[in-house]
Amino acid sequence: MAVQTKLDAHFAQEVMARPGGEHLLTCMACGTCASICLVRRFHPAFNPRRVLHQAALGMREAVLSSEEIWLCSACDACYPRCPQEIHISEVMGTLRDIAIGKGYEAPGPFPEVDRDVCSGCAACARVCPYEAIGPAPDEDDPSRQTAHVDKTRCLHCGLCVATCPSGAITLEEVNEQEVLTRVSAGGWLDQPGRLAGGPEPRCLAFVCQWSVRSDAAWARAERFGDQVRLVRLPCSGRVDPAVILWALGKGVDGVLVIGCDDDECHYQRGTFAGRSKVYLLQEMLATMGYQPERVRFSRQSIYERFGLERSIEDMLQTLGQLPAPVAEQAI
Amino acid sequence: MQKLRLAVHWASSCGGCDIALVELGEHLVELAQVADIVFWPCATDHKYAEVEAMEDDSIDLTLFNGAIRTDHDRHMAHVLRNKSKILVAFGSCATEGCIPSLSNIRGAAYALQRATADELSTVNPKGIMPCRDYQAPEGSLPLPALETQVRALEEVVPVDYAIPGCPPHHDQVWKAISQIVSGDLPMRGSTLGVDPRTVCDQCPRKRTGKIRISRFLRVHEGEPDPDICLLEQGYICAGPATRAGCGALCIGANMPCRGCYGPPEGVLDQGAALLSAVVAGLEGKSDAEIRAVLDTIADPVGTFYRFSLAGSILHTLGSEDGDTLAQSCSMRPEEQP
Repeated sequence: MAVQTKLDAHFAQEVMARPGGEHLLTCMACGTCASICLVRRFHPAFNPRRVLHQAALGMREAVLSSEEIWLCSACDACYPRCPQEIHISEVMGTLRDIAIGKGYEAPGPFPEVDRDVCSGCAACARVCPYEAIGPAPDEDDPSRQTAHVDKTRCLHCGLCVATCPSGAITLEEVNEQEVLTRVSAGGWLDQPGRLAGGPEPRCLAFVCQWSVRSDAAWARAERFGDQVRLVRLPCSGRVDPAVILWALGKGVDGVLVIGCDDDECHYQRGTFAGRSKVYLLQEMLATMGYQPERVRFSRQSIYERFGLERSIEDMLQTLGQLPAPVAEQAI
Repeated sequence: MQKLRLAVHWASSCGGCDIALVELGEHLVELAQVADIVFWPCATDHKYAEVEAMEDDSIDLTLFNGAIRTDHDRHMAHVLRNKSKILVAFGSCATEGCIPSLSNIRGAAYALQRATADELSTVNPKGIMPCRDYQAPEGSLPLPALETQVRALEEVVPVDYAIPGCPPHHDQVWKAISQIVSGDLPMRGSTLGVDPRTVCDQCPRKRTGKIRISRFLRVHEGEPDPDICLLEQGYICAGPATRAGCGALCIGANMPCRGCYGPPEGVLDQGAALLSAVVAGLEGKSDAEIRAVLDTIADPVGTFYRFSLAGSILHTLGSEDGDTLAQSCSMRPEEQP
């Protein structure tokens, strides 16, 4: 049975009339964007080429009601590679704007702010790559500022959750409790590492889910078994320095944070948020007479196939050679 | 009604907490109506032996300020714990180590050497060190021994309540004392004399969140705009990670919050929380650029953990265990004057 899709001849013009949508019709459907797109790892149905083509054809309802327009995270991996130089994330943003205007809602999940706990310090606003959260007068007490989430902009990277100094922000799947549970599940923290007299070093690794592209790369990391606890995060910027300290305090030999290389971050600047936390933490550990080598940030290029395995191997080797930390107490 | 028996003690402290009590002003008269001071070394002439001779639980309330730096501090903590029905860690030192606990970074021996001999403002050409047991013609003069680590009161004895602040604001002190006197107390282990949320909640400055910090400034390196968030101007302000209670006093004087009220409710490590909030607005799109900005943060441990090092997770990693005394603070007989 053939289904006739309703086409709107003016839709493409409507998109192109808005800032960001100008280059919609220059797409020649080569598919380069789809081949490089990082989102497809987790959402294989997502295809930027199809979205653009549908929009160009005038399939208004199909485009505006689809989940796809909300999946693009504006990492812009496709932008420099597009032979027609279409800024696809901008086009997606334009399509979202139109969809919101027509009453469609983004699927989420979105961060929840506990307004009784939030002090409106704006740390979340500073870290958010998308200006999707920020202080505004509180609904119940307008004399106070509390964080408000703009659901049309939020791409649920979780950076705000890790940044909030009051612990006022929660986000499904990347909650603090969730992360702690994943770290300690199966009594992993209770088994002794090298520091606690165990036979081999044990390492906790926080891995940005976008930095490791292939399932084969993940599979290769399985050979480390119980020696390494891999905890997937939506972004290396989601890593919480307090959790790193907590794990080290529990006797883990080292903590590895794996995130994207420069210009490859799925959330624009999330990798830099992650790195700055790790670098500063290393400096503080060194000040305290604790080996900074026990915490490491490892950059993964999307072009390196088995970087995850190599990073873990390097880290374990380092941890295997480090002597136990001794506090400097002598003059 | 029988009057409360009140004790105040200072361990390793600067005396600011005792001043905070004196600052109660006319409330002191009200306090005198409901409580008798049975021990207050800073203000009254009671002897240690008198406290030691008291019966257990004979003091209703002890406000203990100062950290545990010496074996004498530890001894008094145990004595006052036994003698007191309610023991309150009063002020930042007793609550979480405060400034004295920063000496744990380099250790007791270094601190002693630095303070007595190497400090620029000290003239001590012979390098004379304090002597634990000085023999004077009139008899021996003992000094307490330094412990290897400065500790918060709670690390040494169980504590019933904490009143943070360096020093606690006198309005909050009165609020807490009234609460204790009335007997209307929250669960043991609670913090008294504080407000909900963080200092930012009481700070009137404007925050946009739409800035990138390319250089952090120390207070002497510029004059901050009094209407804009200090952190957004590049001054490291501990407000976001500090419990409210002071009424944003320092900020009112155009100085960044230093964090003396400790971490907000439920936050374990103040420094780690502040670290995340500070790097949130960091400029930089490469390792070199990030490191250049981070290099402008002077003394991260001292800045992020200025008041809370002894109570932090970071501290448990870098420090020695045990209560052993630093050997190097023993005398050097040949150097005795």
